[in-house]
Amino acid sequence: MMHRAALAAALLLPAALSAQTMRDFSTSRQLHGETRLIARVEYGAGTLRVAPASGSDLYRVAMSYDGERYAPLSAFDAASETVRLGLTSTGAGGFHIGSRRQLDQRAVITLSPDVSLDLTLQLGAAESELELGGLRLTDLHLTTGASRTTLRFSRPNAGLCAAAAISAGAADVSVLGLGNSRCRQVVFEGGVGKALLDLSGSWPSEARVRVQMAVGSLTLRLPRDLGIRLTLDRFLSSFPTAGWTRRGNAYLSPGYEHATRHLDLSVSSTLGGIDVEWVN
Amino acid sequence: MRTRSGLFAALLLVAATPGALRADRRPAIDTARDIWGMIQQLRDHDTTQSVRPQAIAAAPAGGPTVELGDLSQPARLEARLAPLARTPAARLRVSVPNGQARLGDYSVGSDQTVRGHLLVLRGDADVYGRVQGNVVTLDGNVIVHSGAVISGDVLAIHGRVREQGGVVDGAIRTLSAGATAVPLSPVELTLRRLAGLAGVIITLGVLGLGLVAFGRHNLEIVSDTVSHSFGRSFVTGLLGQILLLPTFGMLVVGLVLSVAGILLLPFAIIAYVLLAVVGVVGGYLAVAHALGETWTRRRLAQGTVVATASSYRFLAAGLGAMLVLWAAWAALGWVPVAGDLIRGAAILVTWFLGTAGFGAALLSRAGVRENFAGRIIPPEALTDEYLWATPQFGVPAVRRPGATRSPTSGS
Repeated sequence: MMHRAALAAALLLPAALSAQTMRDFSTSRQLHGETRLIARVEYGAGTLRVAPASGSDLYRVAMSYDGERYAPLSAFDAASETVRLGLTSTGAGGFHIGSRRQLDQRAVITLSPDVSLDLTLQLGAAESELELGGLRLTDLHLTTGASRTTLRFSRPNAGLCAAAAISAGAADVSVLGLGNSRCRQVVFEGGVGKALLDLSGSWPSEARVRVQMAVGSLTLRLPRDLGIRLTLDRFLSSFPTAGWTRRGNAYLSPGYEHATRHLDLSVSSTLGGIDVEWVN
Repeated sequence: MRTRSGLFAALLLVAATPGALRADRRPAIDTARDIWGMIQQLRDHDTTQSVRPQAIAAAPAGGPTVELGDLSQPARLEARLAPLARTPAARLRVSVPNGQARLGDYSVGSDQTVRGHLLVLRGDADVYGRVQGNVVTLDGNVIVHSGAVISGDVLAIHGRVREQGGVVDGAIRTLSAGATAVPLSPVELTLRRLAGLAGVIITLGVLGLGLVAFGRHNLEIVSDTVSHSFGRSFVTGLLGQILLLPTFGMLVVGLVLSVAGILLLPFAIIAYVLLAVVGVVGGYLAVAHALGETWTRRRLAQGTVVATASSYRFLAAGLGAMLVLWAAWAALGWVPVAGDLIRGAAILVTWFLGTAGFGAALLSRAGVRENFAGRIIPPEALTDEYLWATPQFGVPAVRRPGATRSPTSGS
C-alpha cells in the first residue's frame, strides 16, 4: 500500500520544470588617468548594447543573465590594461541556445571615450546595437554568429583607427557610417545572410575597404562626394556597373577625379546580389 | 512597514524645512539629494536582516575560510559565502586571509584606515575613510562616501554599491539574488497546452475541410494508397525525407549552373518548399481520412447507425484519433517521466503516420495516380454504397482491391 502511494506521489508530483534564474550583475571601474584600454567582449546569447560612456567610468556593464547557464565575465588586468567583459557559458556545451528564454538576457556596456580603445567583440546568437561613434578606437575586431547586428558610427572616431575587421556568420549585419570609424583598413567578411555597408562618414586619407561576401545579399551605400576606386571579383553575382567608369581592372565612381576624398574598395562575392545605393 | 514609516518621516522632514528648498538652488539640490539618499538607505536597509554589529571571530583550523583576493567570479564567492549567511550569529566563525570579517552594519570612519580585505555579512559597509584591500558585502550595500578611498575591488552580493564621490581604484561589482522565473503550475501548463492543441486541431480541420471541398478525389486516392499500400507508403515517405534536402541542393545547383535558370531560383525555392509542406500536411490529412474511414466502416459493419459516412466525417474521426496522444500529453505532460513518455510516443506516432502519408502522396503523385490505391474497378463505380454493400471476402463474383498483389496501371 505504501509502495503504491509512494509511486502515485512520485508520478503526480509536478515536474520540476526547467526554471530560469535571471540575475542582475553590474561591474564598473572608475577612470583614474588611464590612456589605453584593450577590451574583449564575449556575449553568447541575448540582447547587447554597446555605447560610449558619459560619466567618469573606464567601463561600465549592467546585465541581466541566466544564472543557470551563464556566468558574467569581468576581469581586468592592470598590467596589460586589458578587460574581459560579457557572458560565458558555465556548461561544457558552449553557447547552446536551448530555449527562446535564454535570449531574454540583456547587457549594456559603456566604454570611456577618453582612452585609446582596442575593442574585440565576439557575439553568438545575439541581437546587438553597437554604437561606437565618439570613442577613441584604435582597432576593432567584430565576430558575429547567427545574429542581428547593427554597428553604428554616428560620430567620427576621436582618434585614428588602424584596422577594423568584421566577420559575420549567418547574420544580418548593418554597418552605418563606416567612414566615421576613421579606420585606414576595413575588412568585412560575410558568410550567409544580409549585409548593409554604409560607407558614409569622414574617411581618413588612403583608406581601403575589402568586402568578401559568400552567399547572400550585399548592399553598399555609397556617398556621392566620395571618390571610389572599385575592384570586383564576383562569381554568379550581379553588380550594377552603370555610371561607373572602367579603368584597367577597376571601376571609378562618378566624379572620382574631382572628389576630395578617395577610397579603395574591393568587393568579392560568390553567390548573391550586390546592390548600390547612392547617398548625398 | 518600516520603509513606509521611513518614507513618511522623510516627507515630514521636507514639509518641516521649507526654507531649505526656498534657499538658492544649490543647497536645494543638495537637500533633495540628502533626502533621496535617506530614502534609499531606509529602503535598502529594510531588505537586510537587522543584526547587532560585531566582529566575526576567526575560524579554528579547518574552519571556513573565505579568500577575498580575487573578486572576478562573484557567483563562486556567493556560493562560498552562502552557508555563512544562514549560520546564527553566535556560532559564526570565518577566517579572511589578509583581512577581517564583520557581522551587521559597519562604518570605516574618515580618519580610519582598514588594512587588508573587509567582509561584511548581513549589513552595510559605509566607507568614509581608507580601505587598503577589497570590500565585500553579503546581503548588504557598500556606500563609498565622498573622501573614501578603496584601493581594491568592491563587491556587493545581494546588494548595491552606491558611489557618493569616493574613489575606488579597482572594479566595482554587484550581483543580485537570483530571481527565479516562476514556473507554470500544472493547471496553467495544461490549459496552455490544451489551447495549443485546440489551435492545431482547428488549423488542420480547416485545411482538411478545404481539401475535401476542393480536392476530394485526390485526397481519397492518397487515403486509399495509405490503406492499401501502407508499408510501401512508409518506405517511400522515409526515402522522401532523406532525399528532400539533397534534391533541393541539386535543384539549386542545377538552376545556378544553367545561368538562365538563376532567375527562376527564388520561385523554384518557394515552390519546392510549398510542395514539401503540401506533401507532408496533405499526406497527414490523408492518413487521418484513411483512419476515419476504416473506423467508420467497421462501425457500420457492426450495425451502428451512422448519420453520414462522408469524407468530412472520416477526416474528423481520423484527426481526433491521431491527436489523442497529444491530448493525453497536454493533460498529463506535467507528470514526471510519464509526461515525457507520452510526448515521446506522440512524436513517434505522428512521425510514423506523417511519413506514411507523405509517402502515399509521393506514390500517388498527390492523388493523381491510382496504381497503389487498390482500385481495380472504375472510380465512378467505387461508391460508398458499393463498398458497404459488397463484403470483403466470400463473394467470388466481385474481386476487391488488394486481391491482386501486383499493382495495376492506373487509368
